[in-house]
Amino acid sequence: MTKPQSIKSPDHERQREDFDSRAPLGKTILRRLYSYMLKCRTVEERIRLLFRQGRFSGNYFAAVGQEATEVGATMDLLAEDTIAPSHRNFVTHIMKGTPLTLMFAHIFLRKDSPDQGRCAQAHCGYAPLNIITPASTIAAQLAIGTGVALANKMQKKASVVVALSGEGSTSLGLWHESLNFAGVHHLPIVFVLENNLWAESVPARLQSAVDDFSIKAQAYGIRGITVDGNDVVAVYRASQDAIRRARGGDGPTLIECKTYRWYGHSEIDPAKYRTVEELEYWKSRDPIPAMERYLQQRGSWAESWKEELLAEFDKEIDDAIEFAEKSPYPDSEEALDHVFSFSIRERELNRKVWAPQISSSE
Amino acid sequence: MPLTTYIDAITSALREEMARDERVFIIGEDVGAMGGVFKVTKGLQEEFGSDRVIDSPLAEGIIVSSSIGAAMAGMRPVPEIQFADFIAPAMDSIVEQAAKLRYRSAGTQTCPLTVRVCYGGGTGGGLYHSQTNTSWFIQTPGLMVVAPSSPYDAKGLLKAAIRNDDPVLFFEHKKLYRSIKEEVPADDYTVPLMKAAIKRKGSDVTAISHGYMLQLTLQAAEKMKEESGAEVAVIDLRTLAPLDKDTFLESVARTSRVVVVHEANRTLGIGAEVSAIIAEEAFDCLDAPVTRVTGPDIPAIPACPPLEKFYMPSVEKIVAALKRTLDY
Ligand SMILES: Cc1ncc(C[n+]2csc(CCOP(=O)(O)OP(=O)(O)O)c2C)c(N)n1
Ligand SMILES: [Mg+2]
Repeated sequence: MTKPQSIKSPDHERQREDFDSRAPLGKTILRRLYSYMLKCRTVEERIRLLFRQGRFSGNYFAAVGQEATEVGATMDLLAEDTIAPSHRNFVTHIMKGTPLTLMFAHIFLRKDSPDQGRCAQAHCGYAPLNIITPASTIAAQLAIGTGVALANKMQKKASVVVALSGEGSTSLGLWHESLNFAGVHHLPIVFVLENNLWAESVPARLQSAVDDFSIKAQAYGIRGITVDGNDVVAVYRASQDAIRRARGGDGPTLIECKTYRWYGHSEIDPAKYRTVEELEYWKSRDPIPAMERYLQQRGSWAESWKEELLAEFDKEIDDAIEFAEKSPYPDSEEALDHVFSFSIRERELNRKVWAPQISSSE
Repeated sequence: MPLTTYIDAITSALREEMARDERVFIIGEDVGAMGGVFKVTKGLQEEFGSDRVIDSPLAEGIIVSSSIGAAMAGMRPVPEIQFADFIAPAMDSIVEQAAKLRYRSAGTQTCPLTVRVCYGGGTGGGLYHSQTNTSWFIQTPGLMVVAPSSPYDAKGLLKAAIRNDDPVLFFEHKKLYRSIKEEVPADDYTVPLMKAAIKRKGSDVTAISHGYMLQLTLQAAEKMKEESGAEVAVIDLRTLAPLDKDTFLESVARTSRVVVVHEANRTLGIGAEVSAIIAEEAFDCLDAPVTRVTGPDIPAIPACPPLEKFYMPSVEKIVAALKRTLDY
């Protein structure tokens, strides 16, 4: 028996071609894309170092290697726009403008973290900038993001939602329910699918029989495109296009970004399930040096600039770590707070004991 | 005050809240053009338009999760789950998302939504149209679980739930929809959440119940009075979580005898929690063991009449339990 052909309709092809027009981006944007990628990597490598040094308890899920996608998909969002992140998207906080001090307070699980020490490192939101605090449940943030987009539409706001998830999420019902609902209601949302080829130890080919996950968009009547997730320019252009359309009332888009995570699923995963060749191939496609070469070709590159950037990032990170390590833990009884809109401390902490009441004749 | 059915009381609560607050909207299966399978939302789409009464895809997960996101972004959604038996596809949305959102964001992100759930047996609905699964949600802190027993309470509690800033599961018993009428004000009023009600005064034994079972408990109390002159106090929990302990403990301290009645399965039903609270906090008050009248621990309510009858608590079963407790 021959393998069934992947179902690519002419529409799907056309969308990919449309996107391929090569109008150049300005130097300022290119340099910003580069410096954000460098910052994301520098922050994550420092977090990984802190983990190995035992400076915080917990775990971390680095997106190192995937910076082109993280940055390209979320740069230039407005404060009112929403990000619905997964466990892999901590660095999108940098893109939205969450202060590094708060991000590191989150890594250290301190009181100054946006959730005051409740969520594990992988799950971080920030209400002032509309970053949804995600659950661990894969794909759940897409459905909630879809609801935010529904509200934006009902309230006639021009705000958009960028909802990120890995290719593993596409196997869950809620992934499909979200795209389907967004399609039916033509919602202002962009689903960014980071296909990094692995969901923990499970390869993408065991998640789905399709080659390009973006084809799944067709089942929901929405646009779907696949881009090189290690090409920050491609991701940025595809995302900006999708965001512009969503903002203009032209409905949702699914963008599949093909990329790769360099390290294990988390800091405790040695990733023995993949080959050295595979890793080496993807490391040779590191998006950061690729962008350096691109800038060089355009005469916008100097090694000294990179060094200045790194010095600036290191200083900001050092300060943030100092702030975070000085931030206290919450008091134990704060575990009782924020369960409901009212306090439950009194009822949990003070139990009354009843004695029999001599019944007065009623 | 007009005599109103339970279903009409719920419909007016929805209509009034939608008119009062443009952030309120309804989403669910068949709620729009058809007005819901029980007709709870009848006429609302015509009145408020299809943007505010949304016929959703057949997918409970996104019905609830899109409501969570919309609530986060400033709306007041009232999603409907057509039958409690089909709430499982929305389980993650309810217990992992809605219940935890405020907590996991330290109060900075909230989802004020009211999930209306049609539940309960006694109508021959069978294994998949009869379930009472309130206990699943009582065990989930962060959720408020409400189950009114009368038209007046249904309207007032639903309005209070919609205005409340916490996620609420609002359980409506299908058997009550058209079986009872009560005087219900046409004007705006609310009934407080997390407050039990003394539905009948009595000094001999305290019966604690809610929902449809509360009506049967009231009938049993009347029967006891007629047959033996016993005075049964009847407490309606109304909100099952968080529980108003003081109202029933106060009554237990006076009567020293307790019967708990509920339709949910026995194991870890609300009766288990009520009994444990009484044991911990009012042990010295008791003159008899706490007695429960509940659904048995079988997976669901079977369709044919004798099997369904076996499952459902009844006036006779409640009377028998009250007598046992009084005779102890
Ligand atoms: C519903 C659910 N099942 C299982 C897990 C455990 N888990 C966390 S991340 C993960 C793999 C996710 O893979 P993918 O979606 O591709 O994202 P990536 O980690 O590659 O970014 C698994 C199985 C979970 N968090 N939620
Ligand atoms: Mg993956």
